[in-house]
Amino acid sequence: MGAFVARIGRAELACIVLSVLAFSVPFLTHDRLFYSISNQIMIAVIAAFSVFIMLRMNLISFAVPAFMAIGGYAAAIAARNGLTDVFALMAIAFAFPALVALPLGALVLRLRGVYFVLVTYILSEILQLFLFETPGLTGGSNGIAGIPAATFFGISLGRYEYVLLTTAGILLLATVITAATTRYYGQQFSAIEENEVLAQSLGLVVWRYKVIGFVIAGGVAGLGGYALVTMLLTAHPSSFSSFSGVSYITYAIVGGRTSILGPVVGSTILVWASNLFSSQAQYSQGLFGVLIVFVIFAAKGGIVGTAEYWLKRWLRKRSDPGAGDDLAPVGRSKDAA
Amino acid sequence: MNGFIAAGIIGISLGAQYALLALGFTLMFGILGVINFAHGAFYVVGGYFTYAAVSWLGLPFPAAVIVAVLLAGALGYVFELVVLEPVIQDYLATLMLTLGFHLILTTAILVIFGPESPHFEFPVSGAIRGEGFYIPYANLIVLAISALAIGAIYLIMHRTDFGRALRALADDRAVAAAQGIHPRRLFPLAFAVATVLAALTGALVTPMLALAPNLGESVLTTSFMIVILGGLGSIGGATIAAFVVGIVEAYSSVYLGGSQGALALFIIVLVILVVRPRGLFGSEFVGH
Repeated sequence: MGAFVARIGRAELACIVLSVLAFSVPFLTHDRLFYSISNQIMIAVIAAFSVFIMLRMNLISFAVPAFMAIGGYAAAIAARNGLTDVFALMAIAFAFPALVALPLGALVLRLRGVYFVLVTYILSEILQLFLFETPGLTGGSNGIAGIPAATFFGISLGRYEYVLLTTAGILLLATVITAATTRYYGQQFSAIEENEVLAQSLGLVVWRYKVIGFVIAGGVAGLGGYALVTMLLTAHPSSFSSFSGVSYITYAIVGGRTSILGPVVGSTILVWASNLFSSQAQYSQGLFGVLIVFVIFAAKGGIVGTAEYWLKRWLRKRSDPGAGDDLAPVGRSKDAA
Repeated sequence: MNGFIAAGIIGISLGAQYALLALGFTLMFGILGVINFAHGAFYVVGGYFTYAAVSWLGLPFPAAVIVAVLLAGALGYVFELVVLEPVIQDYLATLMLTLGFHLILTTAILVIFGPESPHFEFPVSGAIRGEGFYIPYANLIVLAISALAIGAIYLIMHRTDFGRALRALADDRAVAAAQGIHPRRLFPLAFAVATVLAALTGALVTPMLALAPNLGESVLTTSFMIVILGGLGSIGGATIAAFVVGIVEAYSSVYLGGSQGALALFIIVLVILVVRPRGLFGSEFVGH
């Protein structure tokens, strides 16, 4: 059992367990608000996973809404054309954005990280304009409404409880993909994060791993887009506004970029908090801003990283009183370098 | 044909505004290595500060612009000194910090001034009318001020010790520091200069177009496109690219319709970024 946990990773396993637990939401309560917030949180987690994968290589992606839109619209168009099997739709929502990401990543990821940031930012702007300019394909400013409910072995998933279960299923898939990717390529990603030039000089084809990460991150975002379309019952450009990418980045960074639990914790707390203060929704951006500045400035590991640090310190103090002061906070040691 | 000339004049006028805007952005990247996501927010701040100075303090417009721009510069100076300076070497950290600051500034404007666009007009009305063309005086004034400011930046960067020191820092920070140039003293000033340029653009342009708390994002996108086209960190490149973008935008909005022209421009910029990442005009500053 211990070896199994070590192989998968404790944080990764915790995320998978949490995703499985998400299936219980419709059985716990009939509260519509709770349903809605849970659904929003699950989608946010998926989107934040997409950010997280790229953050593992020190790359910030603003393109998450763009890939979400590609995945969401692809699934919506397929469903409108009679394909309603939920698994097929998930596959389409993952594959389409991944296919778009492949050539783009291959071209852009050869350049310095700064350019990647700019390209992803512009990409999400382009996609917004593209959605408005192609009414024949995407419905333009009307979006795609009246999407038929997905089916699970012939059972219609139209009821809200089933929509939640669908989102939970998408979340589980996204979690497994993210965990598998960041675990399987963990060492390569860490080498790139730590020192890209050194990694390259040691023979690591840095570019290749960045592209792999980008393609998978695109696919994961696409799954999030499908979940969003399923929740809203429409695919509409406003769901994928380019600045919503900033929110997903905030979730991942505030939650903590050092562990896969970071995006989960960050999304859960911030989406829940945004709903709590929804009467002051216009100010939530300011709150996000303060949190970002605080995390970069004072707690680089985010919530999860900081909690880990204090937990380790506490454990060490308990086993050996007087020790533990030499432990550097997460992320700090790298700043100094 | 008249429409053609009119669109050209609009394009040049737009280009001058964009040049003023993009200059600050490209300076900041070239010298500090910072992708400033708060650049658009400083544009908005410049507009609102000017509006407040005119309508709350009753200052005449030119004085209001000066007060607003200096205040915004001070804000930028303090932000660089206190928040950015400790992590200035880490582009990802500075990017996130400026993004956070953008969100904070935008929300602060929203809290103080409310979501509605205030009534704020350029004090000079009227226009030169010719056969088939029409140039508002406001546009001409902005064009002249932009030209002056761009010239001033060139002089500062190439003819003063301050500018030479900044260029030395952009070339090689370690060597420049070893020669006795203090990045800690100059970086906040450089950031303040860049902020002043953004705020000045906002102060001059928002009374002509519109003033609203959420303008920052579109302004930021425009700055991005121009500096990519001109080459990140290049002052000359940004100036030329700004006029290219302005003129293309003016013509495409006349002949293609607004968003198709924008889409075409985006795609051109994306292609350039991929094919020629240093931009059309290379790079004067190496950056980091």
